[in-house]
Amino acid sequence: MDYFFFIDLIQSTVDGLLFGTTYALIGIGFTLIFGVMRKLNLAYGAAALAGTYIGLVMFLTFDAHPAIVFLASAIGSGLIGLVVYLCCFRFTPENYPMASLLASVGMLLFIDEVVIHASHGLPYPYPSVFRDAIIEIGDVWVRGDLLFVFFMCVVAMGILFWLLYRTPLGLATRAVSQQPRAAQLCGIDVTRVNMMTFGIAGVLGGIAGAMTAAAVGVLSPVIAMGLTVKGLIVVVIGGLGFIPGAIIAGLLVGAAENIFLLLRGVTERDIYVMLLLFIFLTLRPGGLFGNAQSRD
Amino acid sequence: MRLKPLLTASALALAAAPAVAQDKTINIAGFGASSGVVGIFGQNSGAAMAAAVEKINAEGGVTLADGSKAMLVTQYYDDRCNAEEGISVLRRIASTDAVVAVGPTCSNVAEPLFGILQASVDDSGDTGLQFPVFTDVAIKGGLAGISEWVFRNTPSEATMYDELFAWIRETHPDAKTIYGGVEEDFAHSRFTWYSVMKTAAEKHGFEIVGEAQWLLNDTNFSNQARGMRRAEPDVVAISAHPFTTCGMLREMARQKIEPKVLVGLTSSSSLETLTGCANEAEGIIIPTSFAPVNDAAKAAAEAVGAKGGALDLHSASAWENIMILRDVIEASGIEGTPESLEEDRRKIRDGLAALTEVNGLLGTNKRMPDGEAVKPYVFVNAASGNWAVLHNPGS
Repeated sequence: MDYFFFIDLIQSTVDGLLFGTTYALIGIGFTLIFGVMRKLNLAYGAAALAGTYIGLVMFLTFDAHPAIVFLASAIGSGLIGLVVYLCCFRFTPENYPMASLLASVGMLLFIDEVVIHASHGLPYPYPSVFRDAIIEIGDVWVRGDLLFVFFMCVVAMGILFWLLYRTPLGLATRAVSQQPRAAQLCGIDVTRVNMMTFGIAGVLGGIAGAMTAAAVGVLSPVIAMGLTVKGLIVVVIGGLGFIPGAIIAGLLVGAAENIFLLLRGVTERDIYVMLLLFIFLTLRPGGLFGNAQSRD
Repeated sequence: MRLKPLLTASALALAAAPAVAQDKTINIAGFGASSGVVGIFGQNSGAAMAAAVEKINAEGGVTLADGSKAMLVTQYYDDRCNAEEGISVLRRIASTDAVVAVGPTCSNVAEPLFGILQASVDDSGDTGLQFPVFTDVAIKGGLAGISEWVFRNTPSEATMYDELFAWIRETHPDAKTIYGGVEEDFAHSRFTWYSVMKTAAEKHGFEIVGEAQWLLNDTNFSNQARGMRRAEPDVVAISAHPFTTCGMLREMARQKIEPKVLVGLTSSSSLETLTGCANEAEGIIIPTSFAPVNDAAKAAAEAVGAKGGALDLHSASAWENIMILRDVIEASGIEGTPESLEEDRRKIRDGLAALTEVNGLLGTNKRMPDGEAVKPYVFVNAASGNWAVLHNPGS
């Protein structure tokens, strides 16, 4: 192990932590919906990608400023999230949880195919900010665009926390997530809260999708499955329904991915990430912030 | 008007007109990836086949064994670049009246797919499928040898890259080292780096100073580019398809990696690369068996464009395949009846096997005894958002 190995290790960790904020956002979206409705929305990643394409249309058609593109991506994903809620969750029977899960799988495949069909599977350039900016700290280079991604994701999380803990909507959301029946009896419109949760989660997903595309510089349909899988891994490791857990887990997965790539190469990288998931599922299925579950 | 002259004139008109077998069509099926990540390849091939068929039909169709004319029909089937689906699709095609199939797109489909065909013709002990397949896109070397029912009209990457690295050695005498980047989980890109580019580079005196690997769906190339930056190679060869090629090129630009020469994979000499990262791809050199450098190529490109596709080295093969099959159908005495279907398929197979050279869009394509092709090629580079011919080895 020489000097450059340690530099590479630090570099991989830094890059992974910065990029991991996108995973954290996706994980928050999954966990937010689960926390309120006790259901998994597997179409979440695909909806985030589709919203990102809406932003791309603004860029390609109107040469819109990156800020407009990112905003359009976020709002687009939010709207698609509402559509997903109406199609897959609003009217599915409460006493059959598999119905909404399977419906969301169908929606995932449908959205994916629509995106591939509309884009012909072609990669398109996506605007990024501070793309050529580098901050050199000795031999460690910190990418300007990844710092921007990190900053945007932190701002999004901050706004979410403000929403959840400083607004009536957030109070209602927390009430529904804790005691849906009691919340309903207190006059809270559970349906409206669920819908708003999907919309907010969708916006978060759109930001994650936009930041992922901005970090890569290219938008392609291949991103959808990666977002979905990473989001689910983050949710399991962080603990279903725990937002701080999703944040920590997102950063952990981002860093771990890059470190495993450095240590074991690309062909084994994903094996170790999945091993990490397996370890959590076996030893701490509740996740980092969940309760330790007793095993059979 | 008098009846007798009218009847005479009608009889003469009918005798003079070519006998068009209104109820006879010859079905040439196409199959490949027309959805999914590499769907654009199949879409372009489908468009090229449709355009070529339209051209042939506009010129009167094909002549059958009895002298009558038949129109060509074609339909493109999607195998989603998946081996199991490819096998299922080919079996489905074989159950129709198609006399031959053009495809597949992906080498990871082609290899197992060719394995279900009869290996040697007239081997009564081999119950494999007896159906001719004429490949347009799947480019991994040596696949036609798997079955005598397989023929490929794909360029020889080994020949092209050998010539390319010889040319780079000649034109860049100061370039000594090379760094490879490879998409590990795609059969074509993997084979091309390890068995073609690397071999050719070493043969022409380049020292391999490193390799970086990534996967088809990867979005982060920081680690890989960092290794490349430290090696300071003179030449960088990226054996990857457009999405990850663009991702890697952007990371290279970010980390200010500026090799003297940048080489790409044949499949990346396409519209996709220019759409995704024209600026970063500026100057990348790729050998290709298609460029619109003559009237026939330009006309074909226009016709395919009218069908919603783009003509590149892959879809150009699909166009050429249809033209070659037209000639084979006419030379082999195809009857085009339901009763003669099996015999017609065998005749097409034998007709393709007998070819030694055919006309291609860039010149004469040689047909090899093992079913492979040797095609003329040029080197193109990305210049100002377009592919421009940099060097024509044949000139």
